[in-house]
Amino acid sequence: MRLLLYTGKGGVGKTTTAAATAALAAERGLRSLVVSADAAHSLGDVLGERLGAEPRRLGARFDALEVDARHVVDTVWGRVRAYAVDLLRHQGMDEVLAEELALLPGAEELATLVCVESWAQSGDYDLIVVDCAPTGSTLRLVTLPELMHGGLRWLLRLQRAAAHVVEPLARGLVGVPLPSPGVYAEAEELLYRTLHRLRARLLGRSTSVRLVVTPESMVIDEARRALTELCLFQLASDAVVLNRMLPEAALREDFFRAWGPAQAARRAEVERIFAPLACLEAPLQPDEVRGLEALAAHGRALFGERDPAARLGESARLRFERDAEGGRLRLPLPGVDPGALEVARVDDELVVGFEGARRKIALPTGLAKLDVSGVAYHGGELVVSFALAEAPAA
Amino acid sequence: MRVLLHTGKGGVGKTTLALASALAAARHGHRVCVLSTDPAHSLADALASPVGPNARRVTPGVWAREIRAQVELDRGWQSVQAWLRELLREEADALVAEELLAFPGIEELVALRAVREVEQTGDFDLCIVDCAPTGSTLRMLRFPDALRIFMEHFFDLERRGARLLRPLMRGFEAGRLIPREDFFDAFERLYEEIDDVRRILLDEARTSARLVVNPTRVIVDETRRSFAYLSLYGVATDAVLVNRVMPEAVGGGYFERWLALEREELAAIEASFPVPIRRVPLQPREVIGVDALEALGRDLFGDIDPAARLAEGRPIRIRRGGGRTRLEIDLPGISKEEIDVLARGHDLHLRVRDGRRTISLPDSLAGRPIERVRLQEPVLEIVFGERGEA
Repeated sequence: MRLLLYTGKGGVGKTTTAAATAALAAERGLRSLVVSADAAHSLGDVLGERLGAEPRRLGARFDALEVDARHVVDTVWGRVRAYAVDLLRHQGMDEVLAEELALLPGAEELATLVCVESWAQSGDYDLIVVDCAPTGSTLRLVTLPELMHGGLRWLLRLQRAAAHVVEPLARGLVGVPLPSPGVYAEAEELLYRTLHRLRARLLGRSTSVRLVVTPESMVIDEARRALTELCLFQLASDAVVLNRMLPEAALREDFFRAWGPAQAARRAEVERIFAPLACLEAPLQPDEVRGLEALAAHGRALFGERDPAARLGESARLRFERDAEGGRLRLPLPGVDPGALEVARVDDELVVGFEGARRKIALPTGLAKLDVSGVAYHGGELVVSFALAEAPAA
Repeated sequence: MRVLLHTGKGGVGKTTLALASALAAARHGHRVCVLSTDPAHSLADALASPVGPNARRVTPGVWAREIRAQVELDRGWQSVQAWLRELLREEADALVAEELLAFPGIEELVALRAVREVEQTGDFDLCIVDCAPTGSTLRMLRFPDALRIFMEHFFDLERRGARLLRPLMRGFEAGRLIPREDFFDAFERLYEEIDDVRRILLDEARTSARLVVNPTRVIVDETRRSFAYLSLYGVATDAVLVNRVMPEAVGGGYFERWLALEREELAAIEASFPVPIRRVPLQPREVIGVDALEALGRDLFGDIDPAARLAEGRPIRIRRGGGRTRLEIDLPGISKEEIDVLARGHDLHLRVRDGRRTISLPDSLAGRPIERVRLQEPVLEIVFGERGEA
């Protein structure tokens, strides 16, 4: 089962590209599902059909669905949510508001992951293509399992400690309803099993992210930063799609004369920045791309003879190396300002941060017992060297 | 200080037009601070020069700053952090602040707080906010209300509870689970700050939203709903800015079909928003750097001061006439089936599609029955009857 996630700045054509990929793959024999994960769903518009939370068959081997966050979250988080709503209502809060406040942070992102995972496990599909929300939320999506792990862990600890000691007192004093043991069980299930499974799926070899860009600097800049963050969280990207390239016929228009050279420069920039990812190109079509047939045709323009589901290229991954003197961690982080990089060692984890993003990387036992002896950034890679701790100088 | 919120669907050019507006306002003598609250910041890309979490001067009258939730959390709320750290001391966890990002509303909170910070410096008379795409922006605007409800229902309770429990728990390991008094003080200060921002945002004389669109159907449809949600939350939209209008000069040829589609959408835009529409054409080159942005700002506003209120309306207003009192809200692009109205005492509960709000009714309307709800595109009218009538 192959999983493809399409992301990029808003308005670049993610939905069209994702649907075109699935349409072409279906035409070529793969059982394909395209999933819209953007709360502002536009997949239905592109396909010219109404979609729901269950897959809808729109052509041979081609299904589509739009994630319904509330429904999915209720199935994995229902009891905890119900407790939260209960608690809020107990305090005299309006039911509707209580419902809203009790929504899990990152609910939409979580719902997408859970939904994709369940269809991935169903065995009904060879390919699932996800049309993600714009870059910011996509990054939230891929980092959610880690982020939530941290947040949930201390929430659980807090609640458990509170339940054992404080709440018997608190109940007497302020009359707060207590969570049933099932609430904790469900929170733990979510924490230790579901998140783990989702993370494994995201990091698996059959999952790739594809970045969609248009030939505009602002769009390319954002995609570049997205790629760096994807690398930081160890998600593999395989291709960049350069969308809405003006064809010759369009460039002949007087108004667009200056675009020809600019577009060529952006293309060269994309190829340079995103190598070794594959760079695919799609033209701006003379009309809106709507309906399955138009999408499959758009897919053919984009992929040509290539297999749309193949791993088209490979971004470098995090590596650990050992040698006699110590070892190294190599983390590809293309296009980062080395001055903005922060690296810190906290017990057997390495904390790496730059600009808005920060991540903890668990060190393998071999490296965990060594000390950090150097940090360098070259060739788009962060290299952290480890060596045996030296005896403190007398 | 005036606040202009620039929002709209992803990729329509919010950042570009926010900066163009800022530069145009500076020509009118305003001292402008541009804040980006979109976690995927683009200010630096549009200016082609670095912008960071500290305000940075772009031109003599314009400063720019990117709000990064993590940096702000690292910086502030020390007592909250200190409490959390103490609480979790078993882990000696240095990254607690970051994990807070997993909780709802934190990013919105940080963004709102920044608006107030800009006002408090006293250095600016215009704050232009380059918002995240519409969904997150609406969440941000919804946040002060949610916080107010939390404060009204829980805060005092929690505080009282903690005061009672603290002496009892002294000496017990679990005693540190009870927040110290200064934690509550910090929280209360925070609440007051956010409530300040709420007052700024809901005052149409001070804050206006500007919706950025492109003339394509999907974008216009979504923007109509955004306008409705903004009205519902009490934020006044005073203009719609249409970006990337294909110039007539493009003519037929390859773009014939696109031009025809655009004309339809431009007509739909004029027809559906009850505020002034300003247009800027698609540029033959990417708009990057101060000079290009300044030129675009001149195109967009001409001699008009971008800081001015471009429309006088209030999103929610009370009208009297014919012996009846009506509450009116501008809700373009919403159908009657998507609206629910319920009056209960002092509260008017409103649901519009996925948006909900509880509006506090003035005394003159509290307790009166709703006589009729009527949608006269784009205005929703709620007519109240007399007390005691059924």
